[in-house]
Amino acid sequence: MKFLRTFTATAALLAALSLTAFAAPKSIKVATDATWPPMEMVDTNKQIVGYDIDFLKAVAKEAGVAVVIKNTAWDGIFAGLDSGQYDAIISSVTITKERQAKYDFTEPYTSIGQILIVPKTNKTAKVIADLKGKKVGAQIGTTGAMEIKKVTGVELKTYDEIGLAFEDMAAGRIFGVVCDEPVAAHFALQKKEYKDKFKIVGKSFTKEAYGIVVKKGNKDLVALLNKGIKAVKAKKLDTKIHTKWVK
Amino acid sequence: MSKNPTSHTPIDVGDGAAIPNKNDAGLFTAWRIAFFGAIFVSLYLAFGKSDPYYEIFKFVPDGILVTFKVTFGAILLATCIGLITGLGRISDNRFINGAASLYVEVIRGIPLLVQIFYIYYALGRFVKIPDMLSAIIAMAVCYGAYMGEVFRAGIQSIPKGQMEAALSLGMSRGQAMRQVILPQAFKVVLPPIGNEFIALLKDSSLVSILAVSDLLRRGREYASETFSYFETYTVIALIYLVMTLFFSKLIGIMEERLNAGK
Repeated sequence: MKFLRTFTATAALLAALSLTAFAAPKSIKVATDATWPPMEMVDTNKQIVGYDIDFLKAVAKEAGVAVVIKNTAWDGIFAGLDSGQYDAIISSVTITKERQAKYDFTEPYTSIGQILIVPKTNKTAKVIADLKGKKVGAQIGTTGAMEIKKVTGVELKTYDEIGLAFEDMAAGRIFGVVCDEPVAAHFALQKKEYKDKFKIVGKSFTKEAYGIVVKKGNKDLVALLNKGIKAVKAKKLDTKIHTKWVK
Repeated sequence: MSKNPTSHTPIDVGDGAAIPNKNDAGLFTAWRIAFFGAIFVSLYLAFGKSDPYYEIFKFVPDGILVTFKVTFGAILLATCIGLITGLGRISDNRFINGAASLYVEVIRGIPLLVQIFYIYYALGRFVKIPDMLSAIIAMAVCYGAYMGEVFRAGIQSIPKGQMEAALSLGMSRGQAMRQVILPQAFKVVLPPIGNEFIALLKDSSLVSILAVSDLLRRGREYASETFSYFETYTVIALIYLVMTLFFSKLIGIMEERLNAGK
């Protein structure tokens, strides 16, 4: 009798376990590098906030899945996805061919472009090529860094965080920074330490779109997230989030 | 607590790679296996497996040069700072002694990584120092404190009688220090300085956080765009290993020569 009870209990437990294994995930872990304001950053209450975070929460709500957000350094954020430390990345990741070769992306969710920021004392520079023979900074492994690399004669300096690049430009060690347009606006137009020192040059010179990254072949998760993105766009929640964070 | 604490043999563990011991004879010493093994593996990866290893080996050499520049610059500056600090630590002048001791205590109490950030970004607000130079200064200021202790111990290891003899010959204290004590002390401190050099060579990888394009930074740049993290860091680790093993051998040979001259 006792044996039978144990047996049925075990069988029930196994059935329950296998059921959850096949059903859609209840919760997904998503990494972000919260050093990219206003897209993702850590506020004074140590909370991770920003456009991407609000957008992800909206997508998850529409898709019926819970999310846990993990703050991860950008340099190595893809390696963490490889080793399965989290299920996805939402960190202003531009969809590029090189990245698509190794990872899967959701539908694009917002478009941006790269833009150049220089000290106000520079009256002549209009494009990166005008800074020939000088150092120009960007965050390591970003599309901004790749754009600087394309320009011959300009020395690329890569930083772990974009804030460190701006600080280095304030210290006079580099003569330009290239990053995503909303981030540039945050640092050069809104931050009071930099407002009087830096200016944005011209308009953004690339057309890029952000996507959420998942491990190659994780079709279920891409489908789930795309479903959420579609619903968020249909309800125009993304424009609301956009006006909240990007000024 | 041990009943007889005096019976312990003192242990000596440095933070550098082990400087090869001449008595450790034989064809298959740990040093040889590691050094030639690392070179063999590097060659195999670069030419036997080629993709992407060959690309990585082609991408990082200017980073090796920067690593060398930072290391040699910092060790030279640190030796100067160390000598001054060491002399200060044995000075009878209370003010000089206090200043040197304070420097050693403060620096040894702050992690190197924090110091590097501090000197680069915090001081960058007030003084304009180029990136490579501030990386060298940051490393030198830290290692200078450790080097100061090395010099202090080195100078104190020279028997007191020598100073007294020099003074009785009519030399001034400075003269005696320069002409009698320091030349002997240099021989004593050379092996520990060699150890510090190798430790510094490894710690120089920390300057990669300053966006100084050293070996590690170059590797990180390559990995961040190609996503070949495993391959890149394998190559970076191998290059560091070959460098530290090479220099530890070189320092070992130098030490031997010095001892032979005794």
